[in-house]
Amino acid sequence: MTNVLNAIVSNKVPESINNGNTPSFTYNTYNSEGKIRPLDYKGKLLPSKIFGSPVEYAKDLKQDVLNIGKAVKGRANDHELGRINDLAMKMGSLGLAAYLFVKNPLKLSKAMEFAGFGTFFASMALWPKLAIQLPLKLRTGVDIHQKYIDSQGRKKMLHQDPQYDLTDLYTREDLDRMGEKLHVNENLPDRDNFIKQRAKKTAVQGNTMWMLTSGFATPILSALMCNRLEKPIGKAIECYENISSSIAMKKDTQSGFIARLKQKLADKSLEKFIQSNSDKIMDEKLIHELSERLSKNVNSASFQDAVAEELKLLKNNIAFDENFVKEAVRGKIPQDLFTSLTDKQKTLLDKAIKEGSTRSISDILANAASSSKHEQMNLRKSLYDLLERAKKTQETPKLSQVTDNVKALYSSVARFAAEKSVLDRFIDARIGDKSGTYIANQWNRVGETLIKSLHLNSKELKALSQGNMDVMREKLIQLAVDENLYNKAMSDLMKLIYEYEQKTGSEKFTSIIGSKAKEICTRASQNMRENGFEKIADKVSSSSIKGTIENTINVNAAERVSGAKSSFYRLIQALDMFKIIKDNNFTAKIQSALSDNGLDSQNHERIEYLTKQLEKIVMSATSTDYTEKFKTAGFKLTEKEYKILMGILCEPTEKNITRNMNSYINEEEFCKGLNAYKDEFMSKVANWQNNMTKELSRRTVTGATNGANAVERNNLVGKPIASMIQDIAKQTYNSQKWLKIFGGAMAVLTAVTLTAGLFMGRKSKIEKQVEKESIKNG
Amino acid sequence: MVYSLGIQNQNINTLRKQVSFGKEDKKSKCENKDRLLIEEKKKHPVSTAVKIQTDKLVNAFTKYPQKGLEGSKNANFYEFLTMGTVPYLIGSAAMISVFNLASKFFSTPDAVSACKLGKKMGIGVIAYGILKNISKKFIEVPVNLRYGIDVNLPYKKVINELPEERNKDNLVSYEYHKAYESVDFPRWDLFYDNEAYGKERTAYYKQVGKKMGISDEDLEHADQKVKPLIKEKLIQTKLFSTLSSYFWAATGVGIAMQKPWENMTLNPKKRILNYKNYKQAVKQAGDKAKNVAKYENIFKEFGKNFVKSFKEFINNERKSLRIAGRTLFGAAVGLTLLGNFVTLLNFNKGKGSREKAAVSLIDESKEKVVC
Repeated sequence: MTNVLNAIVSNKVPESINNGNTPSFTYNTYNSEGKIRPLDYKGKLLPSKIFGSPVEYAKDLKQDVLNIGKAVKGRANDHELGRINDLAMKMGSLGLAAYLFVKNPLKLSKAMEFAGFGTFFASMALWPKLAIQLPLKLRTGVDIHQKYIDSQGRKKMLHQDPQYDLTDLYTREDLDRMGEKLHVNENLPDRDNFIKQRAKKTAVQGNTMWMLTSGFATPILSALMCNRLEKPIGKAIECYENISSSIAMKKDTQSGFIARLKQKLADKSLEKFIQSNSDKIMDEKLIHELSERLSKNVNSASFQDAVAEELKLLKNNIAFDENFVKEAVRGKIPQDLFTSLTDKQKTLLDKAIKEGSTRSISDILANAASSSKHEQMNLRKSLYDLLERAKKTQETPKLSQVTDNVKALYSSVARFAAEKSVLDRFIDARIGDKSGTYIANQWNRVGETLIKSLHLNSKELKALSQGNMDVMREKLIQLAVDENLYNKAMSDLMKLIYEYEQKTGSEKFTSIIGSKAKEICTRASQNMRENGFEKIADKVSSSSIKGTIENTINVNAAERVSGAKSSFYRLIQALDMFKIIKDNNFTAKIQSALSDNGLDSQNHERIEYLTKQLEKIVMSATSTDYTEKFKTAGFKLTEKEYKILMGILCEPTEKNITRNMNSYINEEEFCKGLNAYKDEFMSKVANWQNNMTKELSRRTVTGATNGANAVERNNLVGKPIASMIQDIAKQTYNSQKWLKIFGGAMAVLTAVTLTAGLFMGRKSKIEKQVEKESIKNG
Repeated sequence: MVYSLGIQNQNINTLRKQVSFGKEDKKSKCENKDRLLIEEKKKHPVSTAVKIQTDKLVNAFTKYPQKGLEGSKNANFYEFLTMGTVPYLIGSAAMISVFNLASKFFSTPDAVSACKLGKKMGIGVIAYGILKNISKKFIEVPVNLRYGIDVNLPYKKVINELPEERNKDNLVSYEYHKAYESVDFPRWDLFYDNEAYGKERTAYYKQVGKKMGISDEDLEHADQKVKPLIKEKLIQTKLFSTLSSYFWAATGVGIAMQKPWENMTLNPKKRILNYKNYKQAVKQAGDKAKNVAKYENIFKEFGKNFVKSFKEFINNERKSLRIAGRTLFGAAVGLTLLGNFVTLLNFNKGKGSREKAAVSLIDESKEKVVC
């Protein structure tokens, strides 16, 4: 094209056009002087960068938003519409992420929705940059995503359309750099053009590779990124929740904060509900609906019951009123009855109506106007009916008649609910029964450390995930036998458990929970009593009643903490036990115990059996097995054998259970905690006299006074190690399997893409020939 | 590489003869130049669309990647854009796989819960694709009906390629474009002298102009008059169909994330097995066949689950979720309605009419640039 244009300007007919078949014609040089001419081209290449700056991104975003406004008016070009398309895709995806954020109940899942959104677009952008653009740029010097800015200030890709050649924008330096990397002979005539063609070719190849691979790469890379991000995000959420809930607890005393919270939690539709139901009688259904609304933020079914009881007690405070009586008796009582009553009798009638009592009828009728017996009887009956009706009216008032009381009750509950919500959040962040809490994360950390310590290959991991006890036992024995591995595992686990003890111990958040629960419950209870709501006040806090909210908070927190703690101690106890069993003097120990109890100490078969039973007990015994004293089919122990094994199991742990104790842990303190647990375990669970089957009822919040109740024992026994290992192995196996499939796929794809990149931008046979001949011909 | 115009012209003439198979019939004549596929679309809308899509899809997976990887000098932007289907389809499959493929290695309870999520994700990916494409019609079809501007009107483009190392003889290829795919360079030329619209040279532009409410008097040079107006409508249609399509797609995924889908059997093998079991149960029940739980075909089951899921999506028990669902759905519907409002309401009626043209639109004081 350039040749033709040059020819036109120089008023020559190019040979290619003016051949024999084409009619000849002459060109007149166009004299453009003083005429309107095209402006000079202002386009230029933008600095070649792999990653754009955030400022640049923000500017582009702003421009895209402005372009939408232009497009609404029907003024936009293809480039702008294309960019709007990309923006719309992000907006739609953001909308979807926001919806899924609301849909997911857990904070981690919520956060992962946005992480998914971010990683998807990040992989979409990163994959071509890292797997195609960067390697090609390094190898050939060609930036396949080189951007330029056109005369209108639009940023575009230089190599977007291979038929729209913009390679003239390359500078001398660019061409030299590419020529050198592409090994273009320096003596080649028309070298620049040759380099430009090679750059175009490389870009076409790179862009094609991008289209072919990004379908695989984007979702897989995004999923892999999410997989890697899950832990740090979980940790960040845990930290945020812990800190923010602690700050809220400190703010708690400031009335402004609670008032705002109260406002936030307020049932905004309560007023409307009361208005729309004002004519309804306070029956069971209405009381249930009201109690549900009033106690919603307290999150306690028993508290809701107490509110319902309180609502049932609300009476219609009707006073002695002639109109009421007239309406009530509907003319059954002579009018002069009331006029003939003395003031004292009127007071009595007023009282009787208020109380809904029929006891004072005789007194009221003492001087009644009617004198005949028959009239007296009728009068008495009518008065009785009247008082009965008054009683009924009082007991089942309309909502409109007790609105003020309902509102007063709500006001008392609302402040308590606001204060309790702060405490609930504090508890929830640490020991809530869900994933992402401190306790859940610590549990996972312990489990993962254990699995790591067992050094499992994928087959063993699969076997453990399926609950294969033989493999599990074998691995635990291997760990016990290898001194270094054992010490490392113990040290890592004890560090985590010690950390748990430190955080959850009595000085730490369980005591904070206890004191805070006492503070807010006592205050709320006092306030409720002052307002005459005894029932709910008793439910919140009481010195005589046990099942209060205050007690429940404390007991639940203690149970949750101790459940996990027991499982952790049981794990250490189990690992320690395997170590002891593998020690040479264990047989001697058991023999001596057998002989002390008058049993055959030379029966090696029985000794081996007992050793296996002990392994089994530490691995998989449940609280039911302890209740039945291991008389069940799986164990079959005699009383003496049971006592011997429990004695060994609960033997105080010597200091120095690991040789290389971590300096972070106070070993003495740790062993003290472990031995205290063993003592409690021995007295409440492993004691031959204890029989849980006699205490069938679930624990009450009163706590056990004699021995331990079922829940307490369950907590002390903790989670069986086998099931703990199986759960964590299952989780690890699933995760690893998934990672293996998709990580492997991603690795293959990356390898293929990078390898393909090595063949891009290469000279074809003809190009080589042309190059050679061109150099030869000068 | 610079090729002279003469060679190009010669090639075209030679190629025209080659492609016409020696017959100067109407069809073969048409194949030598770009032409709108109006007749085909009118008579066989479905088969034409299928044919075009199949051609594009096959080329996107075969011919174009081959050309692209070779770095062919004939590779062009159309091919690059057509290859955009590849990541869409493979990406969808990969996305479904990410959530489903590994679950068969999991233990039963884990596999069950992974399968539930995987099923929803699978339906979500498909719903995204379907709704994104269909929803554009909610704006494009009304615009076509109102003004006769078919945004998706296809034309067959004849490409005369440059000879290459690999290909020296078969130098003609076809591409299926849309006449209005570019708002900067719509193929105005294809609408001139097009008998499908009338005998007049500018019949198409007159038709559109009339539909836009321009008087006959003002349509003397219909093409000049109508082209800018068509362009405006094109931009608005593309803008709103694009914006709304992503919210429809997101709504589709949102609906797919609801619980009713969890119980739907999608595995064809399981469905066949369920059907066989049902048949057997009916056979065994004999007279009491009425009591056997009915087997629902996949479409019926899908329909029922869709209705349930849609209700759950916009009418969820949880207030926050209800609001979120309605907002997403509302955004999709709102943008579609707004798109229809903006495109269908003719704000330009009478613009540039002779009456109003008394005042010159050209500002003489400003510098003029010829691009």
